Amino acid sequence: MTMNNSIDPSVAALLPVAKKQGIATVWDRYKAMQPQCGFGQLGVCCRICWKGPCRIDPFGDGPQRGICGADADTIVARNVIRMIAGGAAAHSEHGRHVALALLGVAEGKLPDYTIRDEAKLRSIATKLGLETAGKDIPSMAKAVALATLWDFQNQDHDKPCSWIESTLTGKRLEKLAGLQVLPHNIDAVVTQIMARTNVGCDADPVNLVLGGIKGALADFNGMCLATEISDVLFGTPQPAVTAANLGVLKEDAVNIALHGHNPLLSEVVCDVALQMEEEARRAGAKSGINIVGVCCTGNEVMVRRGIPLATNYLSQELALVTGAVDAMVVDVQCIMPSISEIGACFHTEIITTMDDSKISGTTHVSFHEATAADNARQIVTLAIAAFRRRNPQRVTIPDFKQTAVVGFGAEAIMGAMGALNADDPLKPLLDNIVNGNIRGIALFAGCNSTRITQDSSFVTIARKLARNNVLLLATGCGAGSFAKHGMMTQEATLEYAGESLKSVLTAIGTAAGLGGPLPLVLHMGSCVDNSRAVAVAVAVANRLGVDLDSLPLVASAPEAMSEKAVAIGTWSVALGIPTHLGTMPQISGSPLVAELLTETAKQLLGGYFIVELDPERAADKLLTTIDERRKSLGI
Amino acid sequence: MKKQQLENAIIFSDPARCLGCHSCEMSCAIAHGGCDLYTAALQGLTLRPRNRVVTAGGVTMPIQCRQCEEAPCAFACPTGAIVQQDGMVTIREKNCVGCKVCVMVCPFGAISVKAEGDAAPQWRTNRGVARKCDLCAHTGRDQPACIEACPTKAISLIDMDAFRQAQLEARVAELAQSHRHLTPASNQVGI
Repeated sequence: MTMNNSIDPSVAALLPVAKKQGIATVWDRYKAMQPQCGFGQLGVCCRICWKGPCRIDPFGDGPQRGICGADADTIVARNVIRMIAGGAAAHSEHGRHVALALLGVAEGKLPDYTIRDEAKLRSIATKLGLETAGKDIPSMAKAVALATLWDFQNQDHDKPCSWIESTLTGKRLEKLAGLQVLPHNIDAVVTQIMARTNVGCDADPVNLVLGGIKGALADFNGMCLATEISDVLFGTPQPAVTAANLGVLKEDAVNIALHGHNPLLSEVVCDVALQMEEEARRAGAKSGINIVGVCCTGNEVMVRRGIPLATNYLSQELALVTGAVDAMVVDVQCIMPSISEIGACFHTEIITTMDDSKISGTTHVSFHEATAADNARQIVTLAIAAFRRRNPQRVTIPDFKQTAVVGFGAEAIMGAMGALNADDPLKPLLDNIVNGNIRGIALFAGCNSTRITQDSSFVTIARKLARNNVLLLATGCGAGSFAKHGMMTQEATLEYAGESLKSVLTAIGTAAGLGGPLPLVLHMGSCVDNSRAVAVAVAVANRLGVDLDSLPLVASAPEAMSEKAVAIGTWSVALGIPTHLGTMPQISGSPLVAELLTETAKQLLGGYFIVELDPERAADKLLTTIDERRKSLGI
Repeated sequence: MKKQQLENAIIFSDPARCLGCHSCEMSCAIAHGGCDLYTAALQGLTLRPRNRVVTAGGVTMPIQCRQCEEAPCAFACPTGAIVQQDGMVTIREKNCVGCKVCVMVCPFGAISVKAEGDAAPQWRTNRGVARKCDLCAHTGRDQPACIEACPTKAISLIDMDAFRQAQLEARVAELAQSHRHLTPASNQVGI
């Protein structure tokens, strides 16, 4: 059990407010839930059929097999790959939604959306091997959309999904094909996991885990297409200066918090809000409408529009406890059902928007792309009406916010380095990795969890790695942590970066016109945007003529909790990246599965999981891993 | 001055609240195993709970040593390894030869003589000694692990004096209510 809830000062400021008003938060519920079931923690509880639940005694005397005969290894493997299927389904459903929207735009059916980045559309078409010559934008968009949707339809098991095939290094594709884990169809692979884990099917733990890896790679495919097509529709992230933490809420504005994941909703709300400023002022909001982000929707609008981030996953409820949020607009994923009840303690409208993601006690605005602007207008109108009901005496906006320089997608990173070497933008990065100025690269991803003092593991590990000259990238709620704690600033670079990293970041940042170094941690986007980091890694690997598992590149999800994180972590390992987990995965009831993912994976894939709950020791292990990679590269 | 006599405290399980989840068994095994859950599982340690969740007669509940005042195990033990000490029935493991007489005489099936940890049989010994619920004494806990682990609060540690006092007071309170109606009507207020 953690002793402290969070290192976020807003949390310390607002928890007493919640307590005084009798509002339970995630940390109260966590405490009430203790102790949590040991069988579940070990992954040895099987609820796959109604003969169960069965649980394996990990220590001896009790049952060693479930009623059907499944042992701990089988049960653990089935449970964990079902989580991967859940994560893959979530990301890929998001991706399908975006791809269908691109098709709608191409066919002229969605007047509220347009193609904002034609160059990106063209580069995707080329990457997917589609004919571009002589094609206009709508027909190119249609071709890209249909090719993308084919990744959900293809029935030829020997033909891998087109996105993964056009994204990874040749060597990696060969390796994955050899293990028969390259996905051919996202939906089919998710379905296969559900089928093979059904009672009386696949019981071989190794075979099950390989099926899970295939599911995780389907997740990667879904993430790639979701990210890249979102860029086509809404623009590719470019560096922007904004702010993070609950201090971004404004007392004299209609505060709309956008929460969830998919930019299809949030982007249109942002557009429409700009047109409704006057209405907000008429309602008495002197500063008009103030849009802020929560979780990954927050990251999406932050990296594309510089919209400030209110908070990340674990403290989402506290945004409402400020009493200053007039509407919290949610779509899918990582939305705590408790926000309904907390919103009801205030004037706040909690607005759900997706027909397959409702929460009882909230207002539902059925959002559809074809009527997006109308739906968004309805949402903003509800927010303005709620603002009129706001009780100023119940408003507590913590005075905490940090500057955040964000928006470093693959293109923006290349762009910044291009300022140093326009002919060969990769060269500055390669040179500095080779000469050791950059010791390695670490990608921080994943969630917050009540098992860890919120944000503490992210900040502790990152500071240690930065001091040791590791270049830091971040996505998702990890990026949210760094933004809130002032680690996406030039000052953080000057304060925490080791000398050689500082000089590299300063050279690139100055050349790119930032008037100083790049921020200490580069914000690459939401959790679905982890594929952006892979794009950079693949470019580096191809340039060096090596595979991804040779690069001094590591990933870390120090506060992971979601099924999506299980899927991301697993594909990261499958791509050859040593991947740290700072929370205990629910697999330790099977030493066999644990060994498979932390040891055997190294030989099979090059990547492997490093489970280390202590952040200081985790940083040391990541540094050791980076040094091993450097040594085998001979640099 | 005479020393006040106390009965041994007992672990009480409420069958109406028990869901049969076995969390009490797991926490007992861990509490006596000397390491945390994940380490024990990953190392494949053999750990044995000193309680057992049992279903019979239509109810499910954990059973463990009742810390008998006239403990048959203590009388039967040929080496004198079982004694009344520190408010419970205590097994002095170093004196135990693992003869299982205590297992035979315990009416509750609360004693086991199986080896624990990673102890393999070694020529002359199976490394088994008698073990049973010790109320988590010497585990450094404020209260027995099973009580902390029970998600439905079905398990509690009963101090017999306090329990009896509560029962007595409850019954006296009931009698007091009845008594009011026995006294002459002229003394009643509001009638």
